[in-house]
Amino acid sequence: MEKQEKIKKLRLATIIAGAFIAIVCLLMLVTYLQLKSTDPIESKSLEVLVERLASEPNNAELIDEIRKLDLLARKAYFSSIWQLRIGAYLLLFGAVVFVIILRYYLNLKFSIEKPSEEKVKDSKSRFLTQRWVAAAGIVVLVLAFISAFFTADYLGKYKTEQLVVADEKYDDIIEQIEVTERIVSDEPEDETVTDTVPQEEELAEEKKEARVETLLTAEKVQQNHNAFRGPWGQGISRRSNLPVQWDGDSGKNILWKTEIPVHGYNSPVVWDDLVFLTGANESVRVVYCLNRHTGEIIWEREADNIPGSPATPPETTDDTGLAAPSVTVDGQRVFAIFGTGDIIAFDFEGNRLWARNLGVPDNHYGHSSSLLTWDGKVFVQYDTQSGSRLLALSTSSGQTVWETPRTSEISWASPMLINVDGKFQLVLVSYPDVSGYEVNDGRMLWSVDCMSGEIGPSPAYGGGLVYAANEYATMVAINPKTGETVWQDRYYLPEVASPVYHDGLLYIATTYAVVAAFEAKTGELVWEYDAEDIFYSSPVIADNKLYVFDTSGTAYIFEPGDEPNLIATNELGDFVFATPAFAGNKIYVRSDDYLYCIGENR
Amino acid sequence: MKNFFITTFIIFFLASLASETSAQPQRFPMPEFQTEYQKPEASTSEPRAASMEYVDTLVLILVLAFTIWLIFFKRSRRWILWVSVFALLYFGFYRLGCICAVGSVQNITLALFGTGYFIPLTVLAFFAIPLLVALFAGRVFCSTACPLGVIQDLVIFKPTKLAPWVQKALGLFPFIYLGLAVLFAATATDFIICRYDPFVGIFRLGAELHMIVLGIGILLIGMFVARPYCRFICPYGALLRVFSKFSRFHLSITPKDCINCHLCKDSCPFDAIDKPTDEKEIKPDRRNLKKFITYALLIPVFVFVGGWLISGTHKTLAKAHPDVYLANLLVESPELMQDTDNVDIETFMASDRTLEMLIEDAVVIQNKFRYGGWFLGGFIGLVIGITLLGQAVYKKRTIYEANREKCYSCGRCMKYCPVGNEQEKVELLSQEKQITN
Repeated sequence: MEKQEKIKKLRLATIIAGAFIAIVCLLMLVTYLQLKSTDPIESKSLEVLVERLASEPNNAELIDEIRKLDLLARKAYFSSIWQLRIGAYLLLFGAVVFVIILRYYLNLKFSIEKPSEEKVKDSKSRFLTQRWVAAAGIVVLVLAFISAFFTADYLGKYKTEQLVVADEKYDDIIEQIEVTERIVSDEPEDETVTDTVPQEEELAEEKKEARVETLLTAEKVQQNHNAFRGPWGQGISRRSNLPVQWDGDSGKNILWKTEIPVHGYNSPVVWDDLVFLTGANESVRVVYCLNRHTGEIIWEREADNIPGSPATPPETTDDTGLAAPSVTVDGQRVFAIFGTGDIIAFDFEGNRLWARNLGVPDNHYGHSSSLLTWDGKVFVQYDTQSGSRLLALSTSSGQTVWETPRTSEISWASPMLINVDGKFQLVLVSYPDVSGYEVNDGRMLWSVDCMSGEIGPSPAYGGGLVYAANEYATMVAINPKTGETVWQDRYYLPEVASPVYHDGLLYIATTYAVVAAFEAKTGELVWEYDAEDIFYSSPVIADNKLYVFDTSGTAYIFEPGDEPNLIATNELGDFVFATPAFAGNKIYVRSDDYLYCIGENR
Repeated sequence: MKNFFITTFIIFFLASLASETSAQPQRFPMPEFQTEYQKPEASTSEPRAASMEYVDTLVLILVLAFTIWLIFFKRSRRWILWVSVFALLYFGFYRLGCICAVGSVQNITLALFGTGYFIPLTVLAFFAIPLLVALFAGRVFCSTACPLGVIQDLVIFKPTKLAPWVQKALGLFPFIYLGLAVLFAATATDFIICRYDPFVGIFRLGAELHMIVLGIGILLIGMFVARPYCRFICPYGALLRVFSKFSRFHLSITPKDCINCHLCKDSCPFDAIDKPTDEKEIKPDRRNLKKFITYALLIPVFVFVGGWLISGTHKTLAKAHPDVYLANLLVESPELMQDTDNVDIETFMASDRTLEMLIEDAVVIQNKFRYGGWFLGGFIGLVIGITLLGQAVYKKRTIYEANREKCYSCGRCMKYCPVGNEQEKVELLSQEKQITN
């Protein structure tokens, strides 16, 4: 073959190879676009069918159709992947052929050309080189200079947390206590908890030693009021000899009241001689520790400098605020959470132990679910608009021990611990489910879809059943061993206050001012009582009586039973939204601005 | 033909979109089987036998030895080409671009800076052997054994001559890149040479889109500007360049005495042939001496200023470290702690580390960059100073010869030399005559 002819043929072959590459590229591009436009798990058609399935759960044909469509979508996806893979090989092959032919073509055309003439003198070239090298160096240095001065250093702005130490400013706050009528030291106690007031130094020493030895036992939990609605969050207190008569106006049986500097809707929590609660506003979030005998604020600590805490708190409504969740105590530490998602731990002397932010909760009223602690863990029901989850944090470090994602909507209810056959379960209420979780690993044990709306009331437990209720939804009794619904009823439903169980009856307090009792086994209404005002504060069983405060501060005390046996009504003379705590033979009630201690004047 | 290349570029660009997807299929959850279907257990393929690492080393040694023989004794460009194709297939497409002498600089650095990393002997061999060979025979490694170089070499079709000052200025970048790679490896931040290896995506038929585009882009540029990665980017090439400068032996264009026929003058696509010096240009000159002294005195200043400025960028550079980046991100936007779509944040949140611990670690890393920045900046200043100093040094040359720093020992120039290859030359000239006719 003549060389010229060879060159012509090679030119043609090069063009064919190039065209082959172009066609493969085009096909790959189309496949790629197809692949990008369809996502098998985001298929709209599939979504529609799955939505239909929700309303027709037993439609076998529909299930079959969904499966077929899902399979088809996946097959299409993997076929596209395969096509692209093969395309890549073909492209490589085409490129190799193209390069070989082109090289051969150029080799045939190869000739030694006449050497070019020098256009620039060496000296001139050197001069230009120096200039360009210097320019390149200057460019590097200028870039470095700009980078050095314009890089935002967020780490430099981050202030390392400093432990807050108690100082004299607390003396000023102590002086704000308005009423301290009497320091009670002679209460009869039936447990180890004592209400006497030892010498301050002795007390401090004893507390320090006790803390080291303290382990959170069931007995200690029941002796105290270590969480919202008392031990395990069940709304049942073991205290006795509690007052049944008081009057806020005259001060009768009001042992002391202390102004809480920063407002909050959370309820007081008591451990031994200390009362804990929190307050928050736009600028501060504070944990308070008071002497439960005197009402003196022993310390208050700000929850600040927490990594991840938002600079601006999330918007909340006035009836919830940033300090709606109650604290919990494990005998050595107090744990508090705020509407910002900040969770913090202090020891009983106010030393900050750890703090972290769980992420700003996406909650239009404000986060209100209270904390619970048990077995070295703090449980957080973190049901938000998206990314709901249940967390167990280490009490000593705050690190996540386990975390269980939840599919629930926002919930304002608090968790409850129950002991089922010797094993603890964490019971949560939210929309749409009431669920039980294993406390050691966060595994969901059972779940019943029965709730709807904005869930406020927390669950109750007794008689082997879990009870949950919510306004506009339902009241339900569930067997936590099997997850079976025992009964459901809609006669009276609470909106904010949680139900409580006692001796075969389930009590509720509603936002239309009704206190009602139901047969716990069947859900049948036993009695109802029309109160003066609506109930936000949850009813609590204490001293074998039902205590419940309406929002105007009137406490209704019932003798539990088949009749609405109202023992007493007492006016506090202050608004009450929080649930009272019971310790020793006293009641601790938080109003809008004050913490009251109610006890018999002796 | 130029239009054809442009079309090809566009096609390659589009193809890169697809190859990215083809190589990295998206993962998504398995169907939730409610039937009795048993999901098969995931299986993983067996790792490559450890002994194969020695095979890699042996192949490298054989390729280098054979190339030396081809350069110094056989003097055959054709054979050099075929050996380089073999090395491309082996180290590129078979070994998928790893193990690689270019990236081994980072392994050495990481091992030297006591981060608990123990360097495999094979990696050490891949780092040291090409440098030792360069010390004795020039950049033989670049000629045939480096898949990154070879793939570029194969697509050189119409090389353009670049002005010396452009080459010198761009030639600084490999040293800067080398310095950065060492700093990043020393601080256990990243292996940037590997991360930004433009050809590994081609060898593996898939990479992130931008890397595929970069690789194909470099190859397309390489059609007109020969071996752009080797000349203006490759950090290992910067080391080889220094070693090769002092090489005991080196490829010579002519096998015997140069007759100064000038035929080889334009034969090198890399502009790596130095011409004979002009007698007039190298006359003793007071101005040159003054310039030499000035540059020599300025070198310490360049080193200090470079060190000071680059050290000042430590906060910027440190952000390449995942911990520093994450710490900055979380301090700047704490709400991201709940970003379940961010794998790094998810991983951090699931770990035992607190943000305080992360920030402490990040500050330590920043400080490492502060001190490392002094060395990097000083090094850059030194390179700039020496480059400028070199411009004031004149070396007398009477023949055309390969520049020891820049020459890749590809052997192209050899076939241009009429000395000693009379038979071949006659054939060549007769071919030329045929074409001309």
